[in-house]
Amino acid sequence: MQVISANPETSDIAMHITMVKKVLADGSACRKCQQVEARLAEAGLRDKIDRVVIADERDLNSEGMLLAGEHQVKQAPFFIVRDDQGNETVHTVYFRFIKAVFNRTASESEAAADIIDTSPDLDYI
Amino acid sequence: MSKTNFDAVKLASEYDSRHPSDILKLALDNFNNNIAISFSGAEDVVLVDMAIKIRPDLKVFSLDTGRLHAETYRFLEQVREKYRINIDVLFPDAESVQKMVTNKGLFSFYKDGHRECCGIRKVVPLRRKLSTLDAWITGQRKDQSPATRAGVPVVEKDGAFSTADHTLYKFNPLSNWSSAQVWQYIRANNVPYNELHNKGFISIGCEPCTRPVLPNQHEREGRWWWEEETMKECGLHAGNISKP
Repeated sequence: MQVISANPETSDIAMHITMVKKVLADGSACRKCQQVEARLAEAGLRDKIDRVVIADERDLNSEGMLLAGEHQVKQAPFFIVRDDQGNETVHTVYFRFIKAVFNRTASESEAAADIIDTSPDLDYI
Repeated sequence: MSKTNFDAVKLASEYDSRHPSDILKLALDNFNNNIAISFSGAEDVVLVDMAIKIRPDLKVFSLDTGRLHAETYRFLEQVREKYRINIDVLFPDAESVQKMVTNKGLFSFYKDGHRECCGIRKVVPLRRKLSTLDAWITGQRKDQSPATRAGVPVVEKDGAFSTADHTLYKFNPLSNWSSAQVWQYIRANNVPYNELHNKGFISIGCEPCTRPVLPNQHEREGRWWWEEETMKECGLHAGNISKP
């Protein structure tokens, strides 16, 4: 478990962050997962992720698939943040995750892309 | 300033089988001046027709992506004149559009999907607008897309555009109406409609991303028809998983 210091509001709280990403039937990573990993790296946040878990399309019992079921998450990637009290918060939208946990603000276009990716009912706006 | 005592879950249940006019009245009564209808230039014109009878000073906004059909622009103007309302037309950020078009061309969405273009042309201006409102009203209906809209309630806390500091509510008064009911209302009330409907269009969006559908084709097939499979690739439900 590491101490996340980027967010002044949570600077003294130790957190454990798990990222769940999806692997498709052909063994490749899903598009959004690749994009989010690139954005994490670009923002210098990649090493803040303690653990990366795979939700494997080929294995419904893979750990990531089970975590998705447990937390009722329907899209990858997502993040599980556990504080030192054992409380877990699940983040499914990347720009909200980095705002809540690291107090980082995504660009408008990045936030818009995240909203589209995680809000399928917006497909007709 | 958001309303803290508005129980969207309870009201969604209470109003689920009510007429769209009742849902519009609920919305307009509860959010007074800080609510607006999002008008796409399609069948959601019935919302304007119903709401104007409740609140003549109705606020309406529309997203002009720069890629709409000429028919849609004419229709927006027709609605503005008939109902004597101002339509707040929202435009995308010119610099963002220019950067995308310069880098990728005018039809990049056919190659790498519609999300980037929709993000720049629709979602960013929409998000800016919604940050100034406490609630908005949409024409979303369950029958528009069984895959993505089957669970659309008549009123909800907006999970996509609310922020930690600002709760936004979304009303979907037509949620439980079918396309047939919408058209019955349009004909019975002599409501103007987009001439594209006479040309086989059901769902109407941007010109490059919308096409007419054939009889018995679902309206979803008229939008982003080239990328259906890729939209599913990040899903984590069993239905996405190929059977051996």
